[in-house]
Amino acid sequence: MTQKPAAFVAIILGCAVVLALAPLILPPFYVRVGQLMLYSAGLAVAWTILGGFAGYASFGHAAFIGVGAFAAGLVEERLTGLPPALLLPIGMLVGGLACAILSAAVAYPILRLRGTFFAIAMLGVCHVCAELNNNIDVLQGSLGLNFPAVAPAAWDPAVFFYELYLAAGVVVFLIAWQIQRSRFGAGLLSIREDEDTARMLGVPTERYKRIAFVASAVLTGLLGVIYAHSLGYITTDSVYRDDTNLSLIVYSLLGGMGTLFGPVIGAFMLVFITQVVLARLLDFHLFATGLLLVLLVLAAPGGVLGLVKSWKLRRRAAATAPAE
Amino acid sequence: MSAAPILGVEALSKRFRGLLAISDVSFTVEPGSITSVIGPNGAGKSTLFNLVTGYLAPTAGTVLFKGHPITGLATNRIAELGIARAFQIARPFRDLSVAENVRIGALFGKAGRRDVVATTRGALELAGIAHLAEEPASVLTVGQLRHLEVARAIATRADLLLADEPCAGLNPTETAAMIDVLRRIRSSGVTVVLVEHDMPSVMEVSDRVLVLESGRLIADGTPGEVSKNPQVIAAYLGTPD
Repeated sequence: MTQKPAAFVAIILGCAVVLALAPLILPPFYVRVGQLMLYSAGLAVAWTILGGFAGYASFGHAAFIGVGAFAAGLVEERLTGLPPALLLPIGMLVGGLACAILSAAVAYPILRLRGTFFAIAMLGVCHVCAELNNNIDVLQGSLGLNFPAVAPAAWDPAVFFYELYLAAGVVVFLIAWQIQRSRFGAGLLSIREDEDTARMLGVPTERYKRIAFVASAVLTGLLGVIYAHSLGYITTDSVYRDDTNLSLIVYSLLGGMGTLFGPVIGAFMLVFITQVVLARLLDFHLFATGLLLVLLVLAAPGGVLGLVKSWKLRRRAAATAPAE
Repeated sequence: MSAAPILGVEALSKRFRGLLAISDVSFTVEPGSITSVIGPNGAGKSTLFNLVTGYLAPTAGTVLFKGHPITGLATNRIAELGIARAFQIARPFRDLSVAENVRIGALFGKAGRRDVVATTRGALELAGIAHLAEEPASVLTVGQLRHLEVARAIATRADLLLADEPCAGLNPTETAAMIDVLRRIRSSGVTVVLVEHDMPSVMEVSDRVLVLESGRLIADGTPGEVSKNPQVIAAYLGTPD
């Protein structure tokens, strides 16, 4: 990474401004698609702080969407007198805090597992949270939970949430970028590569994994709070979703595992394919997604960014190879 | 004794179920020296390293580093104090370049102030792999990987380097190059403890040789003394009936 930090931030913010203006010309359907793309990309980047950078691929991050959403909703329900502009920030604070507590509590036992064992244990965490939420009456998981309308009256709610996802996504992206280029990020990278060797070199692996896990969980939870508000009404089934659990891994696989841009590219691609290209083939789209995934993993195990990298390497090799 | 020992091992024992892998071993290592630990296969050399670096917990005994007990500390805490280890089977971060590998060592390792760029460059040069800096670690030869392993270890700015058979499987030219690197590391002020099978190298480079057999320390002295020790000769060649 040789790019100058200021230039990088400027480019990212420039892209954000372009995306922010897009709803002015996009038809409503595409604003919806854009919402889903930005929300998914934000989740994918939050996931990759742990799954991509540290190599701890979680198969249960929807737990944090659900816990964040329900914690926020249950508190907001009791604060109905407050202006809506205050409710969303309060909800995000509560949801983020709930995810921080949950992730810190499960971090110690669960981060001792590696590879698929960790992934499956996270799926278990997600299902346990969902079941508890569903069966404890005060948590209103099965009954459902209403969220206040927080979009200002002058705004189209679809556009409002589009911009909100965009802002949140940019924040998550910049946080992940800062992590990746820091000493902490180098430590996570060494954990992904070889955890025992990392520890031998003095990387405080346990502490780093825990921090990455909590950061990833909190950011996921914040996005979950926004998501719940955009839905307006949630039950456990609408937030603790196994297809979200799966998609978060697929985004990174498609775009490039362990990279910063990979999850964004993967999320944009997959949402576009499923929502636009295959929109009319509802029965077909799960099959097509599966097929696409199998093909991509076989043909390009490094994802889209992996393809670009190997193409560059081949070009360099061709340029330096002696002429026959 | 000229100076306080940098490493002290006191009555160290390690039992794996019925097997006593290390039995009541005591020795000290002088700062600025190269000390070799030799012994037949299964003598407990690697176990000894695993105990010193905190990878295994001893059954009994104490390990002292610069006079302070480090027994029972986590591996990364021991690295922060200034002990580094180069593995016998090189374990590079394969997706990273040689320089990036070494940089991880420079970013972490011994606690305190650090100049990551200068340390990385210095370690690459000391290990003689500066010309490979931008290569991916996955394309290196076995010999080059050993140099990378050593470079990454000394990039942690350690005061004590434990090198586990750095010459195993290397040809004579590569072995000579590695011995040269170890000498340069000692000259830079780092104490080296070496596990090695290659006897000519051990005799040539070591200030002191410890001989382990079946987990017991059977000899401790200069290379000359140890090679004349009847117990050592018996351990290596067997006793006449």
